[in-house]
Amino acid sequence: MKILVAVKPTFDIGQLKFEKDGTPMLDACPVSLGEADRCALEEAMRIKERLGATVAAATVGSSEAHYKAIRDSYAMGADEGYLVKADDPWKLDALSVASAIARVAAATGPYDLVLTGSGAGDTHASVIGPMIAGILGIPLIAGVDRLEVRGPGVVAGTCKLEDGSYTYEAKTPAVVTVTSEANAPRIPNLRAILRSKGMPIREMSAGELGIDLRRLEPLSVRKYEIKRKRIIYKAEDQKGAAEASAKLLAALRSEGVLS
Amino acid sequence: MDFLLSEDERRFQESVSEFAKRHIEPRWIEIDEKGRIPLELIKRMGDQGLFAIPVPDKYGGMGGTVLMAALAIEEIAYHDPAVAVAVYALLNNGWPLALSLFGSEAAKQEILPKVASGDAFFGIGSTEPQGGSDVAGARTVARRSGNKWVVNGEKTYISGVREIQELPAGGGFFLVSKAESAEYGHRNMVDFALLPKWNGKMRDGWKPTVYDDIGRHGLSTGGFKLEDFEVEDDLRIGDVGRGFYLLMEGFNIARVLVAAATIGSARWALDRGAEWLRSRKLFQGRPLASFEGISFRFAELYAELEAAKYFVYRAAWMIDKTYLENPPRFKPKDLNVPVSLAKMKGPETATRIYEEVLKWLGAYGYTKESAVYRGWLGTFSYTIGAEGTQNIMRYIIARDVIGSEYVSHTG
Repeated sequence: MKILVAVKPTFDIGQLKFEKDGTPMLDACPVSLGEADRCALEEAMRIKERLGATVAAATVGSSEAHYKAIRDSYAMGADEGYLVKADDPWKLDALSVASAIARVAAATGPYDLVLTGSGAGDTHASVIGPMIAGILGIPLIAGVDRLEVRGPGVVAGTCKLEDGSYTYEAKTPAVVTVTSEANAPRIPNLRAILRSKGMPIREMSAGELGIDLRRLEPLSVRKYEIKRKRIIYKAEDQKGAAEASAKLLAALRSEGVLS
Repeated sequence: MDFLLSEDERRFQESVSEFAKRHIEPRWIEIDEKGRIPLELIKRMGDQGLFAIPVPDKYGGMGGTVLMAALAIEEIAYHDPAVAVAVYALLNNGWPLALSLFGSEAAKQEILPKVASGDAFFGIGSTEPQGGSDVAGARTVARRSGNKWVVNGEKTYISGVREIQELPAGGGFFLVSKAESAEYGHRNMVDFALLPKWNGKMRDGWKPTVYDDIGRHGLSTGGFKLEDFEVEDDLRIGDVGRGFYLLMEGFNIARVLVAAATIGSARWALDRGAEWLRSRKLFQGRPLASFEGISFRFAELYAELEAAKYFVYRAAWMIDKTYLENPPRFKPKDLNVPVSLAKMKGPETATRIYEEVLKWLGAYGYTKESAVYRGWLGTFSYTIGAEGTQNIMRYIIARDVIGSEYVSHTG
């Protein structure tokens, strides 16, 4: 079995600080391999350990964090690493990234499975996996919490939705996007980290892959803030509490919080 | 000069931080409450390669460095500020390295892989009832008998006495002893890998007791009597007569890691303090941090912690250049002052930070609910002793900087 895992470094938005005007200070924000992507890698490793597989990791971008994302994938147990060179990778549009990964898959495959995180912890666009499946014309199971290989050529993914769990089967080759709830990804030990440093990363250019990488120029980026209304309904006694509760419910209804 | 950690070091630090956050932080209070580190956690740490980090691969170690071990211990202590888990880990990094540097090939092959995997413990047995700082005054005596040594004596305030009884393979201590007679002096000493329990079997002649400490409850402190305890000559560490000196070299390695544990715990305390100074508001909504009587004190403590951290990193780096680089860049005695600076500064900075953070937290800081006191009591242990007292650190610094002919503790 051959598995490709698309990975990307992700800003740790929990540690993101903002300028006074709300501009995010990206340079000062820690970047690391995305949580859901690590879960996708973990699923690939479990398949590799259970059934035998070659696992490749691929990323699009030339920043130090992108090289580190491949080395971190190696430390988790990936066998091959591909990096599509691109300056200013944070501005790449999703379709360009998906096209690049699809071309890497075509150039280095064939793969039975293409895995990726169901969404990045910073942009939350959740479109790369579906786009790769669309470009390659293969089935997609998106947002999988549990992945199984059910036999030659068949995978099944279970997705937890609001009204229950749904299990979908797909014939391989297929794309599966994995949520950050799927597993607790392995933490590489020192030996694996030291080994990963010496493993070669195969670099590819957009030209070599025959694609054009496009970038989005954000018009403005601002901190997302919910302004609190700070309305207090005071109550002195039980009767007051009943009145205040009624006012609170009415206010919540008028805001559309309660129907 | 480069003050940045290498990418390997940073990635390893991140990996340990993630491990500790996932597996240690949710349990640190329970570990302190129940007074033991679950064996399953010790095994998991072994599987993760958190013991014997600087020990070569061929003995089951990770082939890393003492600086990497220090970074790991610091991260573990950040997530277990009561420092029991961190101290368990530091003992099983420092003393296995000392064994790998000075022990016999047979001892290394037998002991180190089991320590690295978390199946066995390997700590230090030095202090005796009549004193700890005066190592030359040790009264434990080993007498040679054919291919064995017969050891008699008593050791006190030893970490890991209960754990070696509970771990599947067991474990033991880097034991310092007099050779043949108890006569006072540095030159008649010998070290052993003393294994009261090994491969799951208790050995005769080892009589342990466990003490009741006021803090750092997760790791046992105890003592043991040795009554005609037999040690194979293969388990002798270094030549007869070199015991005192090799122990001092081992102490230099372990002291840096002790200091690393205290600064990790102190960083946790100072982070809790900073959170409190931001969030606690009074006098019409002003955060505590806006009062310079407090925020300036924070700055001073932050500076002390940074200084202690660089003492630790420099000393660890020098140890690597002394023992793990060929040819060595430094001699073992060059380590005395840098290591003593780290060991002097780390624990004292930590307890100062804890005292201040406790006060910032007000009456809440004095409650058991705040948990800050657990780190205070845990790190306070290291202002008393553990691989050398604070006054011994001062003595070493004064002796080596002013000159030993002016600074002497004997005669």
